[in-house]
Amino acid sequence: MILDYLTLSIILFSLGILGVVSRRNVFTVFMSIELMLNAANLAFIAFSRLHVSMDGHVLALMIIAVAAAEAALALAVVILLHKHKGVLDTNIFSLLKG
Amino acid sequence: MFAEWLYFGLAGLSVLGAIGLILFRHPMNGAMSFVVTLISLAGLYALLSAKLIFAVQLIVYAGAIMSLIIFIIMFLNIQDSDLPDEKGKGLFLLGGAVVIAPISLFLYKIVKSLPGSDTKIIGNGFGDVREVGLVLFKNWLLPFEIISILLLIALVGAVVLAGKREAGK
Repeated sequence: MILDYLTLSIILFSLGILGVVSRRNVFTVFMSIELMLNAANLAFIAFSRLHVSMDGHVLALMIIAVAAAEAALALAVVILLHKHKGVLDTNIFSLLKG
Repeated sequence: MFAEWLYFGLAGLSVLGAIGLILFRHPMNGAMSFVVTLISLAGLYALLSAKLIFAVQLIVYAGAIMSLIIFIIMFLNIQDSDLPDEKGKGLFLLGGAVVIAPISLFLYKIVKSLPGSDTKIIGNGFGDVREVGLVLFKNWLLPFEIISILLLIALVGAVVLAGKREAGK
C-alpha cells in the first residue's frame, strides 16, 4: 500500500526534526537535515507511484542535486568553524549574536 | 506477499538507522547508521518501481554525499574530548518528541484520508531513464538549468570558503 510508504516518510521526517532539535553536534544536526530531505524524497516517489506519472521522480532527482550542493557548502562552513573555534558544539557557534 | 515482507524489513532497517543517527554520541557511528537508512531507502524506491532513482540514490547519496561527510569527519580527527557534552540529551529528546508527536499524528490522519492503491511493480518503462528523461527535458527544463547554476554557485562558494589560505602565516 502507498499509505505505508507515506507513514514511513512521516516517521523518518519526525526523527529528523527530533535530531535537529535535541542534538548539539554539528555533524549529527547536518545528517538529520539530510534525513528530512530523504523523507520528502520518499513521499515524492510514493505519490508518483500513486498517480502513475514521472513528475515526482524528477523532483526527487532535483532534491538529490540540492542535497549534494548543500553538503558541499555546509561541510566547508563546518571546516571553517572548526578551524576558528576548535569545537563542534552548535551552542558555541553564535558568531551572529549581537 | 514477498514484496510486503521486503517492505517491512527495509522500513524497519531505515527507522532503526535513523534512530541510531539521533542517538549515537560520536558522529562517525551516526554516519554509519545513516548509510544503512539510505541504502534501505534505495530498496524502497526499487519496490516503488523507481528504477532510475534507485540507482541515483545508491550512487549519489549513499556513495558520493555520505563518503564526503565521512571523509570530513575523519579529516577533522574528532576525539571524544572534542564532542559537546550533551547532558540533557534525553530531556531534549523527550520534549521534542512531545512537541512533534501531535504534528505527525495530524499528518498521519491526512495520509489515511488519501485513496490507497497497491504497489505492484509495474513494467512498461515506468521509472526508466527514458521516461524520466523525457519528462525532465520537456516539462522541467528551466528548473533543471537552475539546478545546474545552483551547483556551480555551491562549487564556487565551497572553494572560496574552505580554500582560503592566509598569506601572512
